[in-house]
Amino acid sequence: MIEIKGITKTYRAGGEIFKAVDGVSLSIDKGELMSIVGHSGSGKTTLLSLIGGLTRPDSGTVVIGGTDLWSISDNELSAFRNKKINFVYQFASLIPTLTALENVMLPTAFGKWDGNVAAKAEELLGMVRLGDKLNNYPSQLSGGQQRRVAIARAFINDPEIVLADEPTGDLDEETEADIFQLFHRFNSEKGVTFIIVTHNKELAANTRRQVRMVHGVLGEG
Amino acid sequence: MNISIFGIAKRNLKRKFFRSAAIALSVAVVAGTLFSITTVMESVELSIRRGTARLGADIMVVPADSEQKARATLLAGDVTTFYMPSAVIDSVKRIKGVASVSPQIFIASTTYDCCDIADLRLIGFDPATDLTITPWLKERLNRELGPNEILAGREVARDAGQKMKFYGNSFIVAGTLESTGMRFIDNSVFMPIQSARRMISESVSKSKNPLSIAEDRISAVLVQVDPAYLPAQVAIYIERSVADVKSVVSEEVISSVRKQLFVLLKSILMVSVVLWIMALLMIGVIFSMIVNERQREIGLLRAMGARRSTVFRLIMLEAASLSALGGVIGIAVGGVLLFSFKSLIRAAIHVPYLWPEPSRFALLISVSLALAFLTGIAAALYPAARSSRMEPFEAIRKGA
Repeated sequence: MIEIKGITKTYRAGGEIFKAVDGVSLSIDKGELMSIVGHSGSGKTTLLSLIGGLTRPDSGTVVIGGTDLWSISDNELSAFRNKKINFVYQFASLIPTLTALENVMLPTAFGKWDGNVAAKAEELLGMVRLGDKLNNYPSQLSGGQQRRVAIARAFINDPEIVLADEPTGDLDEETEADIFQLFHRFNSEKGVTFIIVTHNKELAANTRRQVRMVHGVLGEG
Repeated sequence: MNISIFGIAKRNLKRKFFRSAAIALSVAVVAGTLFSITTVMESVELSIRRGTARLGADIMVVPADSEQKARATLLAGDVTTFYMPSAVIDSVKRIKGVASVSPQIFIASTTYDCCDIADLRLIGFDPATDLTITPWLKERLNRELGPNEILAGREVARDAGQKMKFYGNSFIVAGTLESTGMRFIDNSVFMPIQSARRMISESVSKSKNPLSIAEDRISAVLVQVDPAYLPAQVAIYIERSVADVKSVVSEEVISSVRKQLFVLLKSILMVSVVLWIMALLMIGVIFSMIVNERQREIGLLRAMGARRSTVFRLIMLEAASLSALGGVIGIAVGGVLLFSFKSLIRAAIHVPYLWPEPSRFALLISVSLALAFLTGIAAALYPAARSSRMEPFEAIRKGA
């Protein structure tokens, strides 16, 4: 379903060229729950962004469900992301002027959606145990609560793929377990493909497939 | 409940209230200044045009030593008097290029036990030759004025049917003239020259403050020029041929004042243009800062599926909302100030001042509003374009 062939991404820093991702090829089946592990600076986050169509590779292709992400127009790519992919970041990624409920609903502002979006957002917030914080602004939530809102947001558009970058980074163990359970549930019940970047070995061990990144190069678990 | 781009823009504006207020205020100052200045210029132009038409004369012939007084009378409406022999009428009538003439006599009202209202100009006109009042009388009153009837200018505090007393004589206001913006007309009372002469002679017995104006005196001769001649040319002929008189060409007076005034107003307009450029730059810089501040947010929106055009629209919507709000506030405040300080403005610029006609006023409002709106649009154009061009991953990474 996801076919990555020889993608490379380089950055220039202080006149030096730095290869963040170096000729990575990877096939990911629909409904997989996999993890990418590696040290900081190994290129995991860049690889995730390349898979999600957030940055253009210098070379190579990313094909999802038969669509080559970089052969379509920017508008088509935006619509593709809006309908099929969602992201969970390692940092606070909520819009400070919107409530928890509005933050969860936000992706629906960029496409056409049927049904009661607010009710769905409310249900998702309930699933991450924030049903009583619907109208709270991010500043009124703890770091862990904000992360849970972002996770709820990742499922509002019924994505086919969720790309998670250190999704449980600063969460307590109980919440971490809850989130992982949620990932497994969406994976098994709805067939959502999960690609999780983490350096938490225990977390990675809970996924069905692990790949390791070292200096921009990929190797199996 | 739905989330819309408009809703997100609205929340963003509320987020930094003082910054948003500062942007709106800067647009308000520019829009208000431009609106006020152009409105004053338009008003002056209209008043001068209407006043000249109302005067109905191309040249006003006055005593040689009273030229400045006559100019002040015409423009600022100063209540001054000056006199010359009525023989001037025939002398002027014979000059080449003169189509018609009409004499007027000016008398000032005082409070000294003579007059109901002080500092009014009483103008005696000749109904047989008059160019100022007679057309109005024919159109509105459809009859001549009786011996004890007068017409009041718009600023005279009397309505039709009310009585007024001048130098021991009682008069009835037969009608009030429409506003011209020229105090020369608006602050005057008009009566047939025969009534004025009778009032002068009877003031000796009826008033404690009698008038001493000889029977053969007049204040001015209003001249209408043959269309084949230029008023300035005929004015020279008059001054060369008639002794001890000066010709005040109304168009010249008006154009010289217009020039002087417009130089002043244009200077203020230039300051407004400089203000406008500064506001443009300031808003541009602020929106660049906003875009930098929100780089990560913009990246996140793009990652969620927002198009480049959606991000561009979001920033432009914020700029447009603030500039439109600023425009409305500026124009409203400018309008209120213009209206409230109408008399003060007129006193300061010493020229007639009429509120523009509704259609012109609507046009001035529309143009000022459009300019205010464009200020925000133009200033935010580059930051908005820059924000929409950012690659989502770069925006998220650099905005950290």
